[in-house]
Amino acid sequence: MSMIEVKELRKSFGALEVLKGVSFQVAKGEVVVVLGPSGSGKSTMLRCINLLEDYQHGEIRIDGSLIGYRTDGNGRRIPRSEVENARLREQVGMVFQSFNLFPHRTALENVMMGPLRVRGLARAEARSLALELMGKVGLADKADEYPIRLSGGQQQRVAIARSLAMTPKVMLFDEVTSALDPELVGEVLRVIRQLAQEGMTMIIVTHEIPFARDVGDNIIFMDGGVILEAGPPAKVIANPSSDRLKLFLRRYQGDYLTT
Amino acid sequence: MDYLAQTFHLLRALFPKLVEGFGITVGVGLSAMALALLGSLLLLAPRMAKSRLIRVPVESYIELMRNTPLLLQIYLIYFGLPLLGFFPSEFLCGVVGIALQHTAFLVEILRGGIESISRRQWEAASAIGMRRLATFRYVILPQTLLRVMGPLGNQLIILVKDTSLVSAIGVMELTMVGKMAIERSAVSIEIFMAVAMFYLALTTLLGAVLRLIEQRTAARL
Amino acid sequence: MLHTLIANLPYLLKGAAVTVWLSLIVLTFGTLMGTLLGLSAAVGGRPIRVLVTAYIFVLRGIPVLVVMLLGYYAFPTLGLTFGPTLGSILGPIFGLRAGAYAAVAAAQIVYVAAFVAEIVRSAVLSVPAGQIAAAKSLGMRRAGILAHVVLPQATRLAVPPLLNNSLTAIKQTSYISVVGAWELTYAAREVVERTLAAFQIFLGVMAIYFLICYPLSLLARWCEKRLVVMH
Repeated sequence: MSMIEVKELRKSFGALEVLKGVSFQVAKGEVVVVLGPSGSGKSTMLRCINLLEDYQHGEIRIDGSLIGYRTDGNGRRIPRSEVENARLREQVGMVFQSFNLFPHRTALENVMMGPLRVRGLARAEARSLALELMGKVGLADKADEYPIRLSGGQQQRVAIARSLAMTPKVMLFDEVTSALDPELVGEVLRVIRQLAQEGMTMIIVTHEIPFARDVGDNIIFMDGGVILEAGPPAKVIANPSSDRLKLFLRRYQGDYLTT
Repeated sequence: MDYLAQTFHLLRALFPKLVEGFGITVGVGLSAMALALLGSLLLLAPRMAKSRLIRVPVESYIELMRNTPLLLQIYLIYFGLPLLGFFPSEFLCGVVGIALQHTAFLVEILRGGIESISRRQWEAASAIGMRRLATFRYVILPQTLLRVMGPLGNQLIILVKDTSLVSAIGVMELTMVGKMAIERSAVSIEIFMAVAMFYLALTTLLGAVLRLIEQRTAARL
Repeated sequence: MLHTLIANLPYLLKGAAVTVWLSLIVLTFGTLMGTLLGLSAAVGGRPIRVLVTAYIFVLRGIPVLVVMLLGYYAFPTLGLTFGPTLGSILGPIFGLRAGAYAAVAAAQIVYVAAFVAEIVRSAVLSVPAGQIAAAKSLGMRRAGILAHVVLPQATRLAVPPLLNNSLTAIKQTSYISVVGAWELTYAAREVVERTLAAFQIFLGVMAIYFLICYPLSLLARWCEKRLVVMH
């Protein structure tokens, strides 16, 4: 049984259909990298998985349970309550392109936010857990700094630690290095790589092709709201079949010829 | 039915007076606006002067206006000037009083706008050989204008509402007309609503016009 | 040179006391009411949002004097006299007509509330959406997000405009004199009409207002500076 299963996902924003029937599976411990040009619906798909967006059609299952909607006796879709959705999100961690750290709290307090306010841990317990995670992402010495004093790469690592503090089953990464200066990208990718080695189930949306080739177990290429190609990196990146993918790889790989 | 007909007739009889009062309100508003804008432009340079001798009096004046009620200022002019031998009309007293207070706020808004334009703009301009005055005219001022248009507009709407205060010294503007009508008749809520609607129309229109100007200026820049 | 002012100072200071007292009442209840309205406009359902937005729009578009006309002249004709409850806050203390004060105080409270509501609503809505997404992704519930993410930041954003608004509200209490309620400005005008010492009295009363308002003005500016540092 797969950890994440997406079946025939369709989503429209008003009249604009951004997801036109997306289906794929992620096994436990697997790392799936999603590539694609902007507007292809990758972020939207990610946001559907952790229920930040609603969707009109399709099923999403996390660890076997159907999430987001229920079907009643007559086969109609009923959206789940916000509380149920919130509970689901405890198990699905998400890291954003714009970090979204809470500016009015220190880095440590940011990481403590989940354990303290959602899991209901005691303050001391939450604190030691947070310190451990800060150490894990290499920022133990920055615990009492406010986000405004941290570099983009540091903020993003704190954001990862913050999500990990909820001990999620799955981690979603939405172009987490796209807003960073090039020299700061490496430190974030290192943390993600480590998580992959530790067996975290992850879906990573990114433009970093070499990283995708290295870390991804499965690559999905999306364009125009559908999956055009999918498969292991050796096949998809080394031997792309569709023209769109070839164009995409050429554009993004060109920057990394030295990698 | 009888009540509605009665109200309708009353308001209908009152309408011309209300329009007249509205006209005075607009007159006071526009005059005060013009005066305040002029005053603020004149005081802008002194306010930002390096010399404390020039700057401090202007700063004190602004601080005074900021911390005392407009009504008092209007009273001071209205009751004070005759003692000095001047006998301006209530209309003039009201306009000057309002202008005096709002000039202070406008100066601060303009100053804020100018200071918010990055120093780098000045540096860039001087790097291509532009003199200070030209820089101000072609680089700083246009950007300032765009930035201050919002707060400026808000201040002008406040000014329009402040015109109601001149009813205190007997100017027959809209609020005064309404007040007198209410004191005389029994249908006060309807009169209040009629007066309110006039003001609402004025402030809404003004707000819409200002937003339009803001958009057009932004487009041109 | 200032003997008229000095001679009438006790009377004027009594007026100042009314002004301060009224300001406190208007600011307390107005801020409370406005905060509740602003929060409901920001996080509430569609009907509440529409109602509060309309309320804010109307009250911010008309002069406070007009609202006071309603309270002072119009409501008594409907039999709404406020007298006992609200008026008893002010009346007995200064032995003045309780009903009048209650009416204008209520009008000013309702007016100030509209401005406070707009400030609060706008502050809550300007907390970046990304943070709410991040909080949701941690599994936080609505109440938690409001309490730990939105409100702390919204409060910081709202304080400077609220302080400036309070300054305006204090000066606004002077307008009750136009509808005939007695406070500092009314007292000043009385004295001037009697003694004709316009400059002494009005400048002196301006000094009194200045003493009341200036500390608040400084506080507002200090807060503004401090908040720029945070973000």
